[in-house]
Amino acid sequence: MQPGKLVASSSAPPRADRALPGPSSGSGSAAGKTDATADSPAPYQRDRRRQRRREAISGLLFVLPTLVIFGLFKFLPIAGAAAMSLTEYRLNGDVTFLGADNYTRLATDPNFWQSLRVTIAYVLIFVPLIIVVSLAGAVLLDKLVRYAGAFRSLLFIPYLSSFVMAGIIWTWIFSTDGPVNAALAGIGAGKVPFVSGHQLLVLASLAAVSVWKGFGYSMLIFLAGLKSQPAEVHEAARIDGAGPWKAFWHVTLPLLKPVTFFVLVIETIVGFQVFDTIYVMTGGGPNRASHSLIYFLYDEGFKFFDFGYAAAIGVVLFFIVLVLSLGQQRLVERNET
Amino acid sequence: MTTAPTTAGTVRRPSPERRRQRVLTVVLGVISLFTVAPLFAVVVLAVSPADAPTIPYALPDSLTLDNIVRVFTIGEFPLWLFNSFVYSTVSVIVVLLTASMAAYALARKRFPGRNALLWAIIATLMVPLQATLIPTFILVARLGGVNTLWGMILPTLANAQAVFLIRQFIRELPDDYFEAARLDGAGEWRTFVAIVLPLIRPVLATLAIFVFLWHWNDLLWPLVVGQSDQARTLTVGLATLNTETVSTANVMAATMVSFIPCLVIFAILQRQIVAGITAGGVKG
Repeated sequence: MQPGKLVASSSAPPRADRALPGPSSGSGSAAGKTDATADSPAPYQRDRRRQRRREAISGLLFVLPTLVIFGLFKFLPIAGAAAMSLTEYRLNGDVTFLGADNYTRLATDPNFWQSLRVTIAYVLIFVPLIIVVSLAGAVLLDKLVRYAGAFRSLLFIPYLSSFVMAGIIWTWIFSTDGPVNAALAGIGAGKVPFVSGHQLLVLASLAAVSVWKGFGYSMLIFLAGLKSQPAEVHEAARIDGAGPWKAFWHVTLPLLKPVTFFVLVIETIVGFQVFDTIYVMTGGGPNRASHSLIYFLYDEGFKFFDFGYAAAIGVVLFFIVLVLSLGQQRLVERNET
Repeated sequence: MTTAPTTAGTVRRPSPERRRQRVLTVVLGVISLFTVAPLFAVVVLAVSPADAPTIPYALPDSLTLDNIVRVFTIGEFPLWLFNSFVYSTVSVIVVLLTASMAAYALARKRFPGRNALLWAIIATLMVPLQATLIPTFILVARLGGVNTLWGMILPTLANAQAVFLIRQFIRELPDDYFEAARLDGAGEWRTFVAIVLPLIRPVLATLAIFVFLWHWNDLLWPLVVGQSDQARTLTVGLATLNTETVSTANVMAATMVSFIPCLVIFAILQRQIVAGITAGGVKG
């Protein structure tokens, strides 16, 4: 699974600390109970303070392992990515400060623009395709009365596979002597070079593989959205004489808008991170036709060991994902108000 | 699955609705067939003898386990399997334990810096893992963790989703449990082990599945940190097998073996998987 997919929204704000019962109110109630002695509030306060200190210490001890792990392997690399992107960082540990040079180099690097174009083209094919497939699957499952659970399981199974496995299977399916080309030959068509032909064909083939592997997740989200739609609204539409198509376009789909936004952003982010299938199926080729942004990062980092430059590509990716997430939030908020 | 009125409607007017259901079943059957067919092809290719045709139009006349047996002699396949297993299970255990502890404190305890820490952890969800791939690799390399399992595991232990989801779950538990434990004079660790952990079992089960699957299927990080043949995970090994001169039958046999754990988990824990995804989705 993709990290980041499981959590739908990180927007839930941490609850503000509830106002602690102030010392005065605490002592007040204590005094109310034992009004005879004048100095009784003092031990009570001391007790509370000691208790609060104990709570703070135990709280800190409980978060300590996570604090250490996150400090070392999350916060430090995030700061490191920003810092490294401003340097030339070589394999032998030589570091030269470059300022913004890596970014100006990116702006004039045709390979960067190529990978950005590839990634955007891929996303534009992948996202509509996976939304249509997963929505169609969810709508059909929602309407089915019997065996819906069994069909849901069958449709979901590819999601359990890895992109590597999907890539291996579909390399065979798309190969020149694979089943698809055999079927095409059966109807008299010539061989189609799915993963070595025209750029759009290659990207579409890669997108198809990712849709096959990934649609189960979005399908379940759409299905949950459909199940939570009030039955009365659909009943009303039916009584008003709306056929299934009309009801779908004018009732079901508008009600599904927030869910669709969520799926749209999640899958767009997934699309921008495409790597595994490309690594297995095309190696970025033919002739950089599928050389995606992450593939570019991987090449610069682990083929040319140009770590500073690769880190800068990572920073660019971060900003793309950030803009997408914030854009979604704006859209959802505007729709809610 | 269905609402009562619909069922009643079917009883009153049997034919149109029943016909619709039949069409629906057939359509879904065909779609499911196409969805599952590639996986079925893997199995068929994996158990087909070497002289079988390259495209299995039907089950082969004789089944063989030779390909699957031979897979275990290719490269370091048993070691890859072992590495994947360690990479996945150790991560699941440590992530669930540390994240539960942190989530409990973040949800139930007051200590200085609590909100700042929570926000910092949640904020890291916005940073894609690939964006920090290079500095993480440099860090692990400096620690001497390249080509080691611990080097592969350590950075994946920082799992913000786990902390976030468990904290949400603990926050929604009634205060009474914790109050009762405190009045009983239970120690902090005892409260955590005897009260908190059993209560959060549902969210732990869901997370365990997803963290396992994510690690088991992960490619990019194991690929860069486990470079030697001995340090590869199954996914990395499979990806290299696919480019080498290994027969299709053997590659498919290896692929099948790699998929079996995922399938077993799904068969047993299907409900938690569905609940995990839909719970995440509804919040969006």
